[in-house]
Amino acid sequence: MAQVVFSSWGRKIVDNRQGGEADLASLKLKLAENYLSEGKIVAFMGWDGIVLMDRATDVVAMAAEYMKRVQEKYCCAKCTPGKKGTRVLLDTLARIVAGHGEERDLEIIEDLAALLETCKCTLCMTSAIPVFDAVKHFRQDFLDYIGGKRKPSPAKAYWEKLTAPCMDRCPAHIDIPAYIEEIKDYRFDEALDVIRRNMPLPAVCGRVCPHPCEKACRRALVDDPISIMVLKRVPSDHEWMHHKQPPLLPKPRKNKKVCVVGAGPAGVTCAYYLLLEGYEVTILEMLSEPGGTVAVGIPDYRMPRHLLRRDIEIITSLGGEIRYNTKLGRDVSLKQLKEEYDAVFLGTGAFKSKPMGVEGEDAGYEGFSPGGIHYLRAVALGQPIETPKRVIVVGGGNTAIDCVRVALREGAEESILVYRRTRKEMPAEPYEVDDAEEENVKFEFLRNPTRLIAENGKVVGVEVVEMELGEPDESGRRRPAPKPGSEYVIPCDLVIPAIGQDPDLSYLGEEDFGIKQTRWNSIVTHGGTMMTDCEGVFAGGDCEYGAMTVVVAVGHGRRAARVMDRWLTEGKAYLDQEDAMEDLVNQLGVFDEKENVGILGGLHREHQPKISGAERAKNYEEIELAMPESQAVREAARCLRCYRVGMVAVN
Amino acid sequence: MVNLKIDGKEVQIEKGATILAAAEKVGVAIPTLCFLKKVSSTGACRICVVDIAGVDKPMTACNTVAVDGIVVTTQSERLAKIRRQVVELLLVNHPLDCPVCDAGGECDLQNVCYAQDVTSQPFGAEDVNPGVIDRWPLIQQVPNRCILCEKCVKVCHEVVGSSALFVNDKGDRAFVDKHLELCEFCGNCVQVCPTGTMISKPFKFRARPWELRKIPTVCTACGSHCQVNLNVKQDEVYRVTSEDGVTRNDGNLCIGGFFGTGYLRSPARLTTPLVKQGESQQPASWDTALAAIVERLQSLGAAKGEAVAGLASARLTNEENYLFQKLFRVLLGSNSIDSEARFGALRSNGVLRQALGLSGASNRIDRIAAAEAVLIFGCDVTAEAPAIDWQIEQSCRKRDGKLVMAGQRGVKLDRHAHTVLRYRPGSEAALAMALARTILDAGLADTAFLQQYVANGDELLAGLQGVDLAAAVAATGLAPDLIVEAARYLGEAKSVALIFGADISKGPEAEVATAALANLALVCGALHGEIGGLFPVEDKGNMQGLLDMGLCPESLPGQQDYASSKAPFEKAWQATLPAGGRDAFAILEGIEKGEIRFLYLAATNPLVSFPEAGRWRKALATVEFLVVQDILASELTALADVVLPATGFAEKNGTVTSLDQRINRLVQATGAPGAAREDFAILADLYQRLAGNGQVPQLDQLASEIKGLVPSYADIRLSSQAARSGLKAPYAPAPGSLRYTPVVLTSTTAAGPQLVTGKILFHFGTTTTFADGCLAVAPSGYVAMSPRDAEAWGVKDGGRVKLTSSSGSLLAPVKLSDQLPDGLLFAPSHFADTPVQQLLTAAGNRVSVQVAKA
Repeated sequence: MAQVVFSSWGRKIVDNRQGGEADLASLKLKLAENYLSEGKIVAFMGWDGIVLMDRATDVVAMAAEYMKRVQEKYCCAKCTPGKKGTRVLLDTLARIVAGHGEERDLEIIEDLAALLETCKCTLCMTSAIPVFDAVKHFRQDFLDYIGGKRKPSPAKAYWEKLTAPCMDRCPAHIDIPAYIEEIKDYRFDEALDVIRRNMPLPAVCGRVCPHPCEKACRRALVDDPISIMVLKRVPSDHEWMHHKQPPLLPKPRKNKKVCVVGAGPAGVTCAYYLLLEGYEVTILEMLSEPGGTVAVGIPDYRMPRHLLRRDIEIITSLGGEIRYNTKLGRDVSLKQLKEEYDAVFLGTGAFKSKPMGVEGEDAGYEGFSPGGIHYLRAVALGQPIETPKRVIVVGGGNTAIDCVRVALREGAEESILVYRRTRKEMPAEPYEVDDAEEENVKFEFLRNPTRLIAENGKVVGVEVVEMELGEPDESGRRRPAPKPGSEYVIPCDLVIPAIGQDPDLSYLGEEDFGIKQTRWNSIVTHGGTMMTDCEGVFAGGDCEYGAMTVVVAVGHGRRAARVMDRWLTEGKAYLDQEDAMEDLVNQLGVFDEKENVGILGGLHREHQPKISGAERAKNYEEIELAMPESQAVREAARCLRCYRVGMVAVN
Repeated sequence: MVNLKIDGKEVQIEKGATILAAAEKVGVAIPTLCFLKKVSSTGACRICVVDIAGVDKPMTACNTVAVDGIVVTTQSERLAKIRRQVVELLLVNHPLDCPVCDAGGECDLQNVCYAQDVTSQPFGAEDVNPGVIDRWPLIQQVPNRCILCEKCVKVCHEVVGSSALFVNDKGDRAFVDKHLELCEFCGNCVQVCPTGTMISKPFKFRARPWELRKIPTVCTACGSHCQVNLNVKQDEVYRVTSEDGVTRNDGNLCIGGFFGTGYLRSPARLTTPLVKQGESQQPASWDTALAAIVERLQSLGAAKGEAVAGLASARLTNEENYLFQKLFRVLLGSNSIDSEARFGALRSNGVLRQALGLSGASNRIDRIAAAEAVLIFGCDVTAEAPAIDWQIEQSCRKRDGKLVMAGQRGVKLDRHAHTVLRYRPGSEAALAMALARTILDAGLADTAFLQQYVANGDELLAGLQGVDLAAAVAATGLAPDLIVEAARYLGEAKSVALIFGADISKGPEAEVATAALANLALVCGALHGEIGGLFPVEDKGNMQGLLDMGLCPESLPGQQDYASSKAPFEKAWQATLPAGGRDAFAILEGIEKGEIRFLYLAATNPLVSFPEAGRWRKALATVEFLVVQDILASELTALADVVLPATGFAEKNGTVTSLDQRINRLVQATGAPGAAREDFAILADLYQRLAGNGQVPQLDQLASEIKGLVPSYADIRLSSQAARSGLKAPYAPAPGSLRYTPVVLTSTTAAGPQLVTGKILFHFGTTTTFADGCLAVAPSGYVAMSPRDAEAWGVKDGGRVKLTSSSGSLLAPVKLSDQLPDGLLFAPSHFADTPVQQLLTAAGNRVSVQVAKA
């Protein structure tokens, strides 16, 4: 483990220059030791200070380079201290490095570092922090330069990255502050351009994203987090409601063909970025419509399918073809795809319901659904299934919630959710649980099914056992344990298990081309390249990660497309600087939940209007309504634009 | 409401207001530099920082929302230091060219330096500013003077909606750049620039701000009548500015206001009367010129009433037009007076008066900004009345209003539209009726209003139920879904502004289309409530005043029916008013037949502006005696027997009436060139000569005469110098006074290529074709067509085509436009070099043409 010579990270000074030891791990600094294959990371300079692993690092030269990149590549110039202050800082540092510095220059640096506290956003403001630290803790180095006793010895390479807590936390790494700023400036088309750079499904991720970004929103440290997800929907609604088509400009056609398996979020995202690069892309989809789990796993009242289709039509307008009703392993083999195409992306999702492990599950009873995801799909595709009067759904995730709510819309008089923990531990989004309750869904918490009760081959009830919560398990949630002897029967006509899904990788079959699987039946990929153990076959989304979120799938699809482009043009699957720094910074972490932001709060977040009341459970009309643009502009104005730049020195 | 304390003063302010607004309320001055009230706050300069008790960092007052209970301090050592250092940074590499900088003397940066006591410069940096941008027409950009306050960018994007300006590049290299193709050359960027970064090329280096006298008046380039200050030095208008927060244009101007006054000092200005002697015109004294007119009129003897005719203009003031018609009716015994309104305004005006009792717009244009839905029908409102465009930017971009654009051709505002209804030429009425029916069918009409106010409500219901939607879809070529969507927007909105323009009122089916729109206005709710309204847009400056002053055979002043309302006028004027009277069409025919022997043209040019301009040309060359009263020498003045040099809007006093019926005072800012005289003075002199009583009509006297005779002007008081404008009584129809007008749709879908002519944004009538500013961006005429059409006809952008209609033919340069559907051509109607109006027939602004590569 690399030793830390000096660190001011997190405003905590560790100075081992005169002796003493600490490694990265002991300081809880999740900084990689090596940068790609280029060499050792000898120092990191960024928004929260300096981390120095090699005493020989020229901190003065690094500070000058850092400021140069901040000013010339990232400073938006939209406030005076930022635009002018970082320029003066840059020139002052450059002067010192060039040997023309004066001692009073150090005062100017300190003065400006303080003035940058008044910046409009945190980009330039935080860039002053490592520079200020350098002047304070490496003063002698500066004085040596000023005194002509030192010549620059820069590192072999510096690599920098613009990030923000939200942007970092977003699995697709959308430039969230940028699109929010565009909304604030009434530039909705431009906001969408920004979003599409990282995510081509804004209508979807503006509606059903679990928005991890909002958990890393600095505004939450002041009052409420920004409504980042809804602000993504607003420009998407704007485009749709104004009948606009985005101006997409694909690069000239390349003479290479790619096959994407699965028209879900991972697949269409991968296809989108490959199409923009000029590849010929064919998408194979086992269902009769696009969208994968979003189409058939998320009910229309949460995600209207015409808007999902619109997002996907925009993608295919670039020239991609979707072949419907074509299933890998049934209609076509991986071998064929490998022969016919130059590269393959597997985005086959996770459609196999996990078994509950209860008695009667395999008996083939009428009134027992093979799983929540099957039930939702059958309803979505308009397949002839009947929903009886009393329905029990088992599980606590979003699929379970979707099932109980869909059952009501399909005519159930009673829709009951059975979950083995309490409401607090439910993995489903709390607002969705509230919504379900508002629609008169009944909850049976701390209950676990033990047996299906059937008469004449038909389900008439479920035997459940009462549970109690014990010590927390590895997920951090308290482990439920049955109370012996507490069993009783809840009568019902249909039982839908919705306790999770696994990928169905049966298509790999005998001829798996060496593609490895995890013990959770997902595909193994390597080092963030999304490439499997088979050259030229990539994978992403639920089939790679296990059932996860749309935004993770999108992040995978985009990363895969980027790497596939390199693989197709250079024959090598590798991460470029952008990817590598994205991952490096992500590992380090950008959001500091203990930060004292120090500004005036008191502005609460704006909410989009919503259809309320149990009445809404009679149809599939969208429940959350479009946020008026004026309200979105107001919400966007709350954004603190928490940009920051980090830079590594590599030797 | 929110309560807070600023510098010890308690303030209560509405929720959502900023600390700056709260401070302003209690008179605490916080310095600002980038703040501009009419756009969203930027927070760029950081000068307005304040301290808040319990908050670590200083906060910017301009964009920090006041929160209940905060205690704000605006002055302290720490704040003073921040402000000083910020200004010091702003001055890094700021050039010391204040002595020759246009902003010198009115520069916010100078003022803030002075106020913050910035007297030294501790900071230095390499100057990485890009060089001066000189490649844009009319406006120069000097990046090293820029403080990047973004006022220009925001005004361009949020107020004007052209979104041409943007911040380019990063860091200290960043500068304000422009998508030139989007620029409307409104000059608002120059106006809001706090320094000398954005400068007007025509004004540059010509005057120091303190030398200029600012004379408040209104711009009459179009009917919006924006407040302007004419900046005058040595009896010349050097520039035009406008004040924020004074009137509804809120300091904003368009190219016409800001760059369009150059014609006032055009070398083509007429400076002396001319009288034809033999074949040539010779300079003459006023006495000689007016005597020649009087002599000719007297020579026509008692029958002169039948032989004389006059055409007046929307360029004249109310008093001038009033005097013009009075002169003809009382002294010449002729009711043969008319104007360009014949070809548009009067056509729609008649229908609206009949159906809705409207004499113009039903509401003020500032009531558009809050409308929940706006329908623009057959109108390039950006060109025809730019101030209405700015209202729509507010309603439909900042306040969530829905915008429906119905037009046969694409216009700028389509870019903000929720629904664009690109109908086929000739299907206007069918579309309007289909929208009305769809609103009714959807249960979205305000039936209570219809029952109370519409006299023939049953007829309305029956009539609309009889509208054939399938036929409308076929006629318009629109997808049914789009019609339903538009109808839903209009029906669901609590307030609707319905705006229509030249493609309706000048179109071949003006009357039926207007009637259909009147019906739609009833059904969609445009006619009730404080917000929204029905707005017929006429692009000529004082068109409303022209209509109100009775400059047509069928109306007396106040738009009162000529035949039935004579009595009070005969009494007041102590004269018997003549019977009959010819309109413009009949006047033309009369000239051709030799029945009209004397024609008086006041500030109007049929050779360029009227349909059948070729026929007018021939007629005017043959009329026995032609008087042309105008300000600029032209082909028309060359035909005249007597030329009377008159004045532009900056050179005269009087009143004008805006398209939303506000009566505004024109204030004379400069004298007229040479011997030119105010139009009113010319007409008054002629009046007294013809009356022979030695009494010269006076402006004040006529103004009160108008008040006495025109009920809608009765309450207007512009007596004091301070009162710049007054509002006519608001439109308030009585219950049962509105009428549904049955509309008979004829199948008039045009066959073959159609040419439509009209106004463009960069010109106003014909006068601005003499203004260097407007000419810099639109130097000459052209015909625009779709790229596909151009390809079909084998012509390229910049090539030439020959257009032939039943009225004549013409060569015109080609401009490609993606705003035009295939088969529809558009040509601006301003240019004498490409007088497209001669291709038009009496039917209207659209005509079938044959197109051939030339």
